[in-house]
Amino acid sequence: MLAKVGSAALWGIDMVGVAVEVNVSSRGFPGFEIVGLAHKSVSESKERVKTAVMNSGYAFPTDKKVIVNLAPADLPKDGSFYDLPIAVAIIALVSNSCVPTDSLFFGELSLDGSLRRVRGALLLSMFAKENGYRKVFVPAESYEESSCVRGVKVLAFSNLREIVGYLKEGKIPKRHKMYESGEVSSREINNPDFYDILGQETAKRALEIAAAGAHNIVMVGPPGAGKTLLGRAFTSILPPLSLVESLEVTKIYSVKGLLSQHEGLIKDRPFRNPHHTISYAAFLGGGIPPRPGEVSLAHRGVLFLDEFSEFPRALIECLRQPLEDGFFQIGRSGGSYKFPCNFTLVAASNPCMCGYYGHPFKTCKCTPPQRERYRQRISGPIYDRIDIHIKVIPVSVDNLTIKTPQILTRNVDNSATIRNRIIKARDRQKNRFLGLSQLVNSEMTNEQVSRSCFLTGDADLLLKRAVVRFGLSARSYFKILKVSRTIADLADCEHLESDHIAEAIQYRTAFT
Amino acid sequence: MDASQHTSGVIYLDDPRYPPLLKEIDDPPGQLFYKGRWDGELFNSCLAVVGSRRMSDYGKEATSLLVKQISLSGVTIVSGFMYGVDAEAHSSAVEVGGKTIAVMPCGIDLVTPSYQLALYERILDTGGLIISEYEGNTAPQAWSFPRRNRIVAGLSHAVLVVEAAAESGSLITARYAGKYNRHVCAVPGSIFSEISTGTHQLIKDGARLINKSSDVLNAIGRGVTLGTNGAQTPLIKTISTLEGKILAELGVASQTSDMLCEKLLCAPVSICTTLSYMVIRGLVREEGGIYYAC
Repeated sequence: MLAKVGSAALWGIDMVGVAVEVNVSSRGFPGFEIVGLAHKSVSESKERVKTAVMNSGYAFPTDKKVIVNLAPADLPKDGSFYDLPIAVAIIALVSNSCVPTDSLFFGELSLDGSLRRVRGALLLSMFAKENGYRKVFVPAESYEESSCVRGVKVLAFSNLREIVGYLKEGKIPKRHKMYESGEVSSREINNPDFYDILGQETAKRALEIAAAGAHNIVMVGPPGAGKTLLGRAFTSILPPLSLVESLEVTKIYSVKGLLSQHEGLIKDRPFRNPHHTISYAAFLGGGIPPRPGEVSLAHRGVLFLDEFSEFPRALIECLRQPLEDGFFQIGRSGGSYKFPCNFTLVAASNPCMCGYYGHPFKTCKCTPPQRERYRQRISGPIYDRIDIHIKVIPVSVDNLTIKTPQILTRNVDNSATIRNRIIKARDRQKNRFLGLSQLVNSEMTNEQVSRSCFLTGDADLLLKRAVVRFGLSARSYFKILKVSRTIADLADCEHLESDHIAEAIQYRTAFT
Repeated sequence: MDASQHTSGVIYLDDPRYPPLLKEIDDPPGQLFYKGRWDGELFNSCLAVVGSRRMSDYGKEATSLLVKQISLSGVTIVSGFMYGVDAEAHSSAVEVGGKTIAVMPCGIDLVTPSYQLALYERILDTGGLIISEYEGNTAPQAWSFPRRNRIVAGLSHAVLVVEAAAESGSLITARYAGKYNRHVCAVPGSIFSEISTGTHQLIKDGARLINKSSDVLNAIGRGVTLGTNGAQTPLIKTISTLEGKILAELGVASQTSDMLCEKLLCAPVSICTTLSYMVIRGLVREEGGIYYAC
């Protein structure tokens, strides 16, 4: 007797179809075997399936030879989600019923027969939609995640008995609240609001420009200047994710198993701030089988690297490809994996070893060569890929005294106001790049910069003077133009005026 | 450019060109290797400017201001080419077109510290001198720095110490100056600053307290010829109201752009933009996020 049940295997951040074939035969020595390059977590499912089936009140053919084949047999399989398809196939064989062929099964079993959520449920729905499956059977806790995809019927159950009940009699447990697809609540993150940050007006302005054009930004300043706070507040002014972007982000979080229970589509831009002791595999992606790292978790959001100069130099050098191409490729003998990581880099660093260079009243104890060595911890090519460089100077104590009437009535924009300006600026960019792969100014090639940056006579003159005055390289020249383009977008101007160029020149370098 | 490409030579103690002031000291160097064009005029009126390697922003401002004014009245600035106050003294002199002499603690063909090669070239290009009592590529030694200081003091009519910690090399130079009967001048600093303890000790011991360039010029018997700030006059005409306000604020004290926003009640955008224009026009300069009037 043979039964076939559809399921899928994780491959990077995609899925590959897997047929779970179960044969129960009365000939041969009694036993239970799983074949098909199963990882330890899969082959252990024998015990879970056997106990769960029996504890759910169904018979398990202990006196027969049970062979499970996971096809294709040469693809390594990892994860505990084959429990459900195997159990469903065995029960179908024992009770002589049939399993729908247009469905995929996915879930881990508990010994008492209840279903546990597993990572990757969203990818299963996506895979089902792309390959013409109509239904997916998932654990109840993964319902919201799976139903982010339209056009696939998501059937969520909390235990094995409910599934069998559905397969035999078509009963759907009533307690399910059926959400409309794609309208599932999202996570709540408590970001500081720009209004609550006292002082630092220039830094806030620079962050606004960075958010508007998705420019990478580095903040350099003494300890306690507020770099970390500014970095955290940055996500509060970012425009919301589009539906396509949301799916891209949720997919990565689903693979990593980072979605919380009953969490659906992620709607806020991710904010990741790894510590500088992070390993290569955790930072960039890796492991066996390879999984996305922090850079991918920051996809479409913010990668905040606090104490930028303390990260191992070689690790930061690995950011070259992600910063340039928006993805990270992991090559292994078994295959190559491509993880998207189109993030905005927000880096914060001290200006020198002691940290006080440029502090208004504390003295820096570093010598010029020491400062230079500290600056060189991050290479030129990495700084070249960062469009905006700013200095963050500590706010004086007078300005920190909160709740004085001036502070309550001060004329400072809150994050929502800034965000609206940024959304408008992004709309201008969207229209400019209509039909192109770019979405934002920071992604412009030099050729596009020349095509979309029209300078007025004054602006041209000013830029030429600045090139001579500061000895700017060609790359800095284009960086200034890109940033000016965003400043002009924020001001709703078609042409780059000299004021826009003058402001962009301010964000050129931070280590002087 | 290779440092060895410049005109060079050696002057022995019995040479009539040997600096007369240096000859007066107890152990004058037997020979002086030099780079650049030897001009006896250079030694007519020399001021040694020395100080801490770990110069503070204040020290930098003070050195720059005093040296520029002194240099403009034709005094040669002598120093030790070390980073910090020494380098600031050389470059301030060069900037206003003054003459300066760098006394090296190592062989004449070696540029120490090597990253100051650009300054080295500029000193030579503006008619200054690089001198040393050691030949070739002799590496600097811990003992050669204090030995070098005796030449710095010996060449000069007065020694100006800008910032110095207790027991620092600058105090050695000052001690030599006292021994050779030259004027010792010191710039006061903050009582909280570690690198001002040395200068304050010098003042207690009788050094002249310097708070303006004329103090130094009087000490070495030079008339005060102030030709500064003339170059800025034509620019002043074209400055806007906001630029004027910024210049007025910076005249009181150096500030960050945030401080200016707050004091002038202006949006950061207009302050940043205006500061950019001003930096390009040379009205202000920026360092470590702090703006200074030029």
